[in-house]
Amino acid sequence: MHIVVCVKAVPASTEVKMDPVTNTIVRDGGDAVVNPFDATALELALRLREKRRAAGEDTRISVLSMGIPATERLLRDCIARGATDALLLSDRAFAGADTLATTHALTCGIRELGMPDLVLCGKMAVDGDTAQIGPELAGALDMACVTDVRALVACEHDAVTVYAGGDAGVSLIEATLPCVLTVAKEAATLRMPSIAGVLAAEHAAVDVRGAAEVGADAARIGLSGSPTQVVRSFVPEQQAAGVEVSGDTTAQAKQLVRIIEEVA
Amino acid sequence: MAAIDEHAGTVRIVPLTHEHDDYLHDESRSRGEAESISFPTTEDEVRSILRSLHAAATPITVQGARTGLAAGAVPHGGHVLNLSRMNRVLGMRRDDAGAFFVRVQPGVILSELRKNLHARSFGTEGWDDVSLQALHALADAPEQIFPTDPTEASACLGGMAACNASGARSYTHGAMRQHVSALRLVLASGDVLALHRGGERAHGRHLSLTTEGGQTLEIELPTYVMPACKNASGYFVEDGMDAIDLVIGSDGTLGVISELELALVPAPAVTWDVSCFFTAEHDALDATEAMRSELGCAAAIEYFDGAALDILRRQRTESTAFSSLAEPPADVACCVYVELQCASEDEALAELTRLGALVERAGGSAEHTWVARTELDREALTFFRHAVPESVNMLIDERRRTDPAITKLGSDMAVPNERLHEVMDLYRTTIAKAGLEAAAWGHIGNNHLHVNILPRSAAEYAAGKELFARWAHAVTAMGGAVSAEHGVGKLKRDFLEIMYGRQALAEMARVKLAFDPCGQLGRGNLFGEELLDALRQAEASALDDNAEKGGA
Repeated sequence: MHIVVCVKAVPASTEVKMDPVTNTIVRDGGDAVVNPFDATALELALRLREKRRAAGEDTRISVLSMGIPATERLLRDCIARGATDALLLSDRAFAGADTLATTHALTCGIRELGMPDLVLCGKMAVDGDTAQIGPELAGALDMACVTDVRALVACEHDAVTVYAGGDAGVSLIEATLPCVLTVAKEAATLRMPSIAGVLAAEHAAVDVRGAAEVGADAARIGLSGSPTQVVRSFVPEQQAAGVEVSGDTTAQAKQLVRIIEEVA
Repeated sequence: MAAIDEHAGTVRIVPLTHEHDDYLHDESRSRGEAESISFPTTEDEVRSILRSLHAAATPITVQGARTGLAAGAVPHGGHVLNLSRMNRVLGMRRDDAGAFFVRVQPGVILSELRKNLHARSFGTEGWDDVSLQALHALADAPEQIFPTDPTEASACLGGMAACNASGARSYTHGAMRQHVSALRLVLASGDVLALHRGGERAHGRHLSLTTEGGQTLEIELPTYVMPACKNASGYFVEDGMDAIDLVIGSDGTLGVISELELALVPAPAVTWDVSCFFTAEHDALDATEAMRSELGCAAAIEYFDGAALDILRRQRTESTAFSSLAEPPADVACCVYVELQCASEDEALAELTRLGALVERAGGSAEHTWVARTELDREALTFFRHAVPESVNMLIDERRRTDPAITKLGSDMAVPNERLHEVMDLYRTTIAKAGLEAAAWGHIGNNHLHVNILPRSAAEYAAGKELFARWAHAVTAMGGAVSAEHGVGKLKRDFLEIMYGRQALAEMARVKLAFDPCGQLGRGNLFGEELLDALRQAEASALDDNAEKGGA
């Protein structure tokens, strides 16, 4: 079985820096981390491989990302945690991509890796919050898609069974392979790497490819290949400041009551 | 009590009522009693309060954040001097070598100082020009940290100095005393001693100190020799010692620390935390010894035994607050945790390679390890480590509900390096023979484990206490210390007598009376009140005899 896990480098801090000209997020790789939702997707893939290994079945887990060269460090960390191999799509031509252009690049990357049985993505990224990549990938690859997966129940024969969230609550869903799953953060916590994993990952090859090398259509990638444009972005101003309650217990209680009454 | 409801400077000494119930106990779960309480905010207020209580020789217990585990801040009657509102950072300086020092009031909370240092931002009201210039330099300097790291980050810095606190990183950074460069001590009379590291030294075992009020204290230091291991048992004494070290770790018995100057160190460029799991405890001990000799960047070496891991496994499934805990592998018996602080990633990788090899050699597996290199993973491991004592406290609290006589029984003893296997064997055989439930964790790099007896009944609690006394004798015979980081406080003073003997306690009590002639401060800490009062009476009688002879 071949599983591709799509991971995105996101800022470690919640304070996102915006480019004032392009209105896109500045990604200098400084304090980047793997998007927490994608980290959960990788953990589900690793658990699935453990189950299959116990049954004597092989599983290849590829991690795929589109990003700046510094993203290689994060992909190497994914290998340390158990991924089999990694492909980084890195090219100035990819810069400024919206979700559709990103999807085209990732689709090319997936084809380069070899068509998988399962594509796992985080439900959304903590910086962009669009939740569009997974469904768009499914469309591009002509696969079924289940979003907001809370738990992976089984993956046998040609189908995967999951619990997934939706407007009506949580449903038990069976999807035919190949398919795309987008994963909720609470589904699992990504394991830590072992010493053996970290040392092995240092010597592992992370494949880095440019747009032309993966056969990407220049008209469908990057800022120019993005049909949507961010017209304006701004950091919301803090609306309320904290209130310090002081004095003895009685005075503090009275102040609290007053504050609650004001809010109510 | 004469001072109740009177103003002491600008701060009130008020009767202690039910509203102040929290101030009668600390994290040791023991409870005391007191008649009055005050919350000074400045050194002048402390001096004023002490002066007003001095005439009646009112007993005074100094408190900070009350996170102590030895009941040092639990009052024995009299007045509670709570310093939690003395919580300002007063200034900063940079020396000629480029090192930074920060000046704090004793009530500053460790976690707050860490936040300030990380953000390089302080409330600077009242700071002098030197401090403001140092803060400006700090903005452009490599990140600085205060390295002492007790598990309880809500501890206050004055309390940490009072008990010479340490924590996991004491393996490489030492205890609190190594990082205190100066302090101000308000004596029971209200006079002040200003001590600077290197400024006031003993001649042999005699110390002569002059207060800001011009009083000279002549102090004969105790004659005992301290153990060659991590130690927070009684007064620090050695030939030619620095006077500041006598105050650090004195459990609030000599005076009230009103100000501390702390030496900062640059933050390590790379910090990786590694948990190594083993299937047998002796393998973990072998690995620890190899880590000590082979690792150059280990800042902390910690241990969790099988019972501690089992408690965590239970908590994961039974408590939602702990459900995100990383799950220890199913078939392991114990864990050694190592914090690597390195100058570069290359150095960290080389150290990790050495660690993996020694773990394999000791019988473990480089596969059965967790390496935390990201902030998120490091937070997960910190949560894992801190969940152990928290879970044990919850367990004990639960058992107390059925039997109030049960309380926490945690050891704090350390031995020299060569005694690690021997002391672990002692713990294991005696616990098994007594049929007690126990969990052990802590600072194995310093041969300093917190062995916690988990009593299921009052009888088991009594048996556990008896076991601790036996351990105190055995650890002393091994050249160890009965308290390595919590301080002696009120709970471990019997062990201090076992460690040093009655004569040494009397010598310590005389030191105390040189600073605090009426025996007001920290009554019940380090030595029993009977010993202190007997010495005071003897000294008073001697003075009377001398006066009579002089008169004759």
